[in-house]
Amino acid sequence: MTAPNALSTDLLGAIGGVPRPESDVVVDARDVNKWFGRLHVLKDVCLQVKRQETVVVIGPSGSGKTTFIRCVNHLEKIQSGRIFVNGHLIGYREGGGGTKLVEDKEKNIARQRQEIGMVFQRFNLFPHMTALENIIEAPIHVRGMGHDEAMVMGRALLERVGLAAKENVYPNQLSGGQQQRIAIARALAMKPALMLFDEPTSALDPEMIGEVLEVMKELAREGMTMIVVSHEMGFAREVANRVVMMDDGVVVEEGTPDQVFSSPTQDRTKAFLSKIL
Amino acid sequence: MGRHIRGIRPALLAGCLLLLPLILEGCTARRTAPYTYDWNQGFWTPLFHPDNLILFGLWLTVFIAVVSQFFGVVLGVFGALGKMAKAWPIRLIANVYIWFFRGTPLLVQIMLVYYGLLVTKIYPWPDLYIPILGFTIVSEIQAGIVALSVNEGAYMTEIVRAGILSIDPGQMEAAKSLGMTYGQAMRRIVLPQAARVIVPPLGNEFNNMLKTTSLLVILGGVPELYFTFSNKATQNFHPFEFFLACAVWYLLLTTIWSIIQGRIERRLAKGTAAGAAAAERGGFRERLLGLRGAGSSGLGGH
Repeated sequence: MTAPNALSTDLLGAIGGVPRPESDVVVDARDVNKWFGRLHVLKDVCLQVKRQETVVVIGPSGSGKTTFIRCVNHLEKIQSGRIFVNGHLIGYREGGGGTKLVEDKEKNIARQRQEIGMVFQRFNLFPHMTALENIIEAPIHVRGMGHDEAMVMGRALLERVGLAAKENVYPNQLSGGQQQRIAIARALAMKPALMLFDEPTSALDPEMIGEVLEVMKELAREGMTMIVVSHEMGFAREVANRVVMMDDGVVVEEGTPDQVFSSPTQDRTKAFLSKIL
Repeated sequence: MGRHIRGIRPALLAGCLLLLPLILEGCTARRTAPYTYDWNQGFWTPLFHPDNLILFGLWLTVFIAVVSQFFGVVLGVFGALGKMAKAWPIRLIANVYIWFFRGTPLLVQIMLVYYGLLVTKIYPWPDLYIPILGFTIVSEIQAGIVALSVNEGAYMTEIVRAGILSIDPGQMEAAKSLGMTYGQAMRRIVLPQAARVIVPPLGNEFNNMLKTTSLLVILGGVPELYFTFSNKATQNFHPFEFFLACAVWYLLLTTIWSIIQGRIERRLAKGTAAGAAAAERGGFRERLLGLRGAGSSGLGGH
C-alpha cells in the first residue's frame, strides 16, 4: 500500500494546470423541475456554483440530491427550468420562442459533457481496460489527443493519485478506494471545468474512505470547481465553500459549513443533522 | 476414482467411434446379409485419402459457415440495436425481422431466397466475382449464404441483445459522462464487454452453422460436404459407410471449432475473475485427454 502522505499532490499539474472555466458562474441552475412519472423529485431547484468553489450537497436519501447532479450533465432529463454550465444551456435548446425545452442533439450533449467530469458511487471503471487504459480512453477517442501524449498525462495522473504501480492492473484486482481514485483520475483526464461527485465514498469500506477524500480535498485546494453529493460531514466542514441542504426535492437551506452545521435555521436541516452528526 | 469416470473423455469416445465398423461387422456377420460392407472404399478412404471432391466440400462447408456466421453476427448487432432503439419504426422492423426468420423453417427460407427471387427476377443471382478472394461465387452459393445469414441474424439478435442488457447501465453512463456519444460508448465500452457474454452462445451458433450448411443440398448446386458424400453414397450403394465417414468429418470440424472457441473465451475473459480461474484450469488439450479432473465440461458441451 502507498503511504497516505504520498497521495495526491499537484493533481491538476498533471493535466496542465487548473482548467479555466469560461465564466465566473460555472453552474447556474434555475427553477429546475423533474418528475419520475408522477413523482415530483426536483421542485424549483436553484443553485449557483462559482469558479473554484466546492459545494457539498447534503440531505436524506431520496431528497433528490443525486438526481440533481445527474441533471447537471444531462444523465437525467428535466421537465422545466434551465441548467447552464459555463453559460451554455445543458441538454436542451430553446424551442417555441423560449417557452419550451427541446432536447439538444446527441453530439452537442456529448460535447458539453466533455467539460463536466463525473465520479460515480460505484466507480463504473471499464472492467475490460487496465487502469491506464481507463484514463486515456476518452482523451484519445473523444478529445483526439495523441496516444503518446495521453500516456504521459495518464501516468502523471496515476502517480498523483498514488497508483503509479497499478497502471497495467485491471479494475477487478483493485480495492474500492483504488478504483475510485482511478475513476477520479479518469474524469480529470478530460480536463473538465467542473467535477461532479455522486456519493463517491458511499460504496467504500470505511478504511478506504480517507484515501478518496484526500484526493478530493487536494482537488478542492488546487482550485477545481466541484459539486459533491456526500454524507461525509467532516469533509464538508473542512473543504466546502458552501453547503446545500436538500430535502424532498427542495433546497432547504444553504450557507457556509459553519452556518449550516453550527446554526441551521431550518427545522428540516436540524432534524437531519441531529440524525447523522 | 469416481472423479475419473464422471469426466467425459472425448479421446475415448473418438476411439470407440473409429472401432464401430469392426463391432458392426461382427454383429451382422452371422446373418445371411444381403448387404456387404465396403469399409475400405466407403469409410477409410474418404477419411484418410479424401479425394478432391471431399476436400473441396470441406472447404466450401467451412467457407459458407464462416461467411454466413460473420454476416449473421453483423445483422445480429444491428438487430439488437434496432430492437433497443428509441424510434418505434426501427423497433418494429427489427421485431418483424426476428418474428419472420425465427418463425419459419430454414428450408423454406432457403427456397424462398433462391428460387423465389430467381424466378420472379427480383434478384436473379448472377455469378459474383470477388476480387479480394480471387474467385467467383455461383448463384446457389450466394443465395445459400444470404439465407443462412439472415436466418442466423435473427437468432444472433436475441443473443447480442441479451449480452448488451447484461452490462451494468453504469458503464454507458460513465462513457457518456466522459463525452462519448451513444455510438462510441456502444463500440468502445459496452459491446466489448457484451462480447464476453455473447461468445459462448455464439460458439454454439457457429457449431450449428457448420452442420446446418448441409441443408443447402436442396439447392443442388452447392457441393459442400454433405452434398459430396450424399452423391458418393448413392452412387456406390454404401450409404452407411459413407455417411458415417461424413459424420466423422463434421465431428472433426466441430471439434476443431470447440478448441478455437475455448481459446477465444479465455482471451476475452481478461479483467474478470472468471478469466483468472480459466487460466488456472489449464488448456483444452489437458481437458481433452482427461489429464486433469475435467469435471462435467466435456468436448463441445453444446
